Amino acid sequence: MSKTALVVDDSPTMRQMVTLTLTNAGFTVVEAEHGKDAVAKVAGGPKMDIVVTDLNMPEMDGISLIKELRKMAAFKFTPILMLTTESAAEKKQAGKEAGATGWIVKPFNPEVMLKIIAKVLPA
Amino acid sequence: MSNDFAQFQDAFFEEAGDHLSVVEDGLLALEQNPEDLDLLNKIFRSAHSIKGTSGMFGFNAVAQFTHKMETLLDLLRNGQKVVTPEIADLLLKSTDCLKTLIDAAKSASPVDDETVQRLTVELASASDLTVKAKVEDGPSGGTTGTGTAADGRSQSPAPSPSRHFSIAWTPPEWIFQRGLDPLQIFKELANLGTLSQVAVDTSKLPELVAMDPEKCYLAWTMKLETAKDRQVVDAVFEFVREDSVLTITEEVKGKELGLRGEERLSSPEPSASPHPSPLTPHALSLTPDGIEGEPKPLGEILVETGIVSRETLDHALAQQKRVGQILVEQHAVTPQQVEQALQKQRQQESASQSKKTDTASIRVDTDKIDKLINLVGELVITQSMLSDLGSRFEMSQISVLLERMAQLERNTREIQERVMSIRMLPIGTAFSRFPRLVRDLSAKAGKKIQLVLSGEETELDKTVIESIGDPLTHLVRNSADHGLEPPEERLDNNKPELGTIRLNAFHEGGNICITVEDDGRGLNRDKILAKAVKQGLISENDKLTDDQIWPLIFKPGFSTAEKVTDVSGRGVGMDVVKRNIEALSGTVSIKTALGKGTTFTLKLPLTLAIIEGMTVRVGKETYIVPLLSILESIQPKAGAIKTVVGKGELINVRSTYLPMMRLYEVFALEPEYTDPNKSILLILETEGERVAVMVDEIIGQQQVVIKSMEQNFRKVDGVAGATILSDGTVGFILDVRGLIEIARRGAPVAA
Repeated sequence: MSKTALVVDDSPTMRQMVTLTLTNAGFTVVEAEHGKDAVAKVAGGPKMDIVVTDLNMPEMDGISLIKELRKMAAFKFTPILMLTTESAAEKKQAGKEAGATGWIVKPFNPEVMLKIIAKVLPA
Repeated sequence: MSNDFAQFQDAFFEEAGDHLSVVEDGLLALEQNPEDLDLLNKIFRSAHSIKGTSGMFGFNAVAQFTHKMETLLDLLRNGQKVVTPEIADLLLKSTDCLKTLIDAAKSASPVDDETVQRLTVELASASDLTVKAKVEDGPSGGTTGTGTAADGRSQSPAPSPSRHFSIAWTPPEWIFQRGLDPLQIFKELANLGTLSQVAVDTSKLPELVAMDPEKCYLAWTMKLETAKDRQVVDAVFEFVREDSVLTITEEVKGKELGLRGEERLSSPEPSASPHPSPLTPHALSLTPDGIEGEPKPLGEILVETGIVSRETLDHALAQQKRVGQILVEQHAVTPQQVEQALQKQRQQESASQSKKTDTASIRVDTDKIDKLINLVGELVITQSMLSDLGSRFEMSQISVLLERMAQLERNTREIQERVMSIRMLPIGTAFSRFPRLVRDLSAKAGKKIQLVLSGEETELDKTVIESIGDPLTHLVRNSADHGLEPPEERLDNNKPELGTIRLNAFHEGGNICITVEDDGRGLNRDKILAKAVKQGLISENDKLTDDQIWPLIFKPGFSTAEKVTDVSGRGVGMDVVKRNIEALSGTVSIKTALGKGTTFTLKLPLTLAIIEGMTVRVGKETYIVPLLSILESIQPKAGAIKTVVGKGELINVRSTYLPMMRLYEVFALEPEYTDPNKSILLILETEGERVAVMVDEIIGQQQVVIKSMEQNFRKVDGVAGATILSDGTVGFILDVRGLIEIARRGAPVAA
């Protein structure tokens, strides 16, 4: 059974790059354009092994998405990684308070991303 | 960056282009509504996306510059700064600069460093940020990059066989609610070396009734023996460090190291620290903006820290071997296999390079593609129905055959339309530059101008859109500069102070019309006439109608002389406009009313690949005349044709003499009629010049697909291209410009 990942980013280029990195590592990826799209795609649907989300997005931003996901039973303990260029500590803090597991800094290196994912992925 | 990502580079440039227009349009709108937070957020997001994605491709100049813009935008959207005209202006200029930076990244060409520097400073000062402040927020953003990337890359400077760490960790209560599990941390630690003496502290565990199963009440102490360096151990706790009570102590044996251990003991990463600062050599290689630079090679670090000398390093480097060589020595592969593999690598490299050279791409709505695929499916069905019918055809089935043929025709036409529509883009992309242009022009000219765009969704061929930008810019500039009056003059004339320029696009038949309309002073008949006489374009006695006068402004050189002070005196570049439009097989017309305004109407074909043509016959040959260039067709009266020495034949059309060409002479054909009174004359016009072309018969109007003569045969004077006619024969498309040239030379080509 391959692992599943939810990738949320409003930039198609960025999204494709994350997806490629994850599919190369054997993940099955569900892509979403923004928070609302993501919630719609996972509501009552598949359980994900990991979520990688951008923070700045239209419709519903990453922080709100994380809060929404944490409210859902299927995502209560799922690792959620923020994909961020935010250098400001408060943004990271806000993410953590919302329930983010950790973060990946953009621009990312695929190896680093996979390493971080391995770090938080439940066995 | 990973080679896998190179494939997304084109997509990035396209996306960046979209983001740039969002930023630019947004900023222009923001000037009108400085309070609009949604707008600011939208602009911020686009800038942010450019920053994040450009970094992925190593376009650091783009990323760093966007970061500066983003910092200012962030202050604006947080309400820490107010949008002033100066700030809007600065951001607009920065957007231009960013555009050039992105273009430079695209073509790998150098950039105007001075502008970048100047704007960087301006942005920083507008953000009230000193450079120092930025250094601060840099490394904290890069913690992930540093921490996790640190292992493997910047191994401990001094290779020590094993270190002993003593770790005491109290995770935050809510660790599970963030999807973290202490077990994972232990596993990761165990992977680093030997984890021992793990002891759990259950003292905080409440009574069972008071216990929340989703909370963590435990704390641990443990010992770790590892060859890895402290940063690697630190990195394991990266996501929880700031919220945990964590002490990592390096247990040491030597006295000297004891000091170091003490030092570390005293900084157990307090949980309140907003800026964890892992000052590894790697962290130092971060640029002040938190954008990761290239990590230094191991050797460089060793030399810098004084562990090895430069000579030792060079010597060691000299001994390095290529992978292929090592494998050959180990008899794992043969030298030939290595050579083959290398050859393959070179091929792939050159292939990827050649792929890079300007692949013009087009983004197509998946909807369009789906419909096309659907239609192709229908075509296949029709084809199989026809071939089925053909295999056992009887004359009684003729009606079925006709029906299926009609179906085939319908399929083909629809597919043609759909395929054409793939190249079609909304003209909005060509219009998008004008809000900015008009804003700048109105500021420069001290006029109040509003721009009204409509019909942006009208679609036309990508090539046409790309070529239409410059002529349109000329027209808009002209309207702003000269069409519209200064505010005082407008008020004096009972007009609203605010001048309006309207850009509209719409379909008309097989053409697209674009109008540039202003409510300014209109063209002045007398001034134009006076100028035209002065320029020697007409003589004083010429009696011209309005429709003949207005096109005079398209004459080359018209009005260049007088208004020296103006950036673009009315008329400058107008000949270029007309030439450009005609190069696209289009036409320009003018409607104007004194004191009320001027409208320029551009009429363009939807695509350059297909033209609307009139098929004509000369003898047994069929020619196609572009419909747009046909003014009228006449049957000349006897005596209307005169022969003038040195000018050839002229025909009198409503008291204007036009040169007349007998097409059969030009192409050396055997015509049906040699008497002009029996044949038909087509009056053709291009670039304001007219010619009468004599043909035997007009057959009818039809769309033809242009095939290049140069690509399939060679250039022939007077022929613009060829096409395949309905009976399968080749027909030539006349080049009106070329025919006028031939008429002027007066020599038939006699092919």
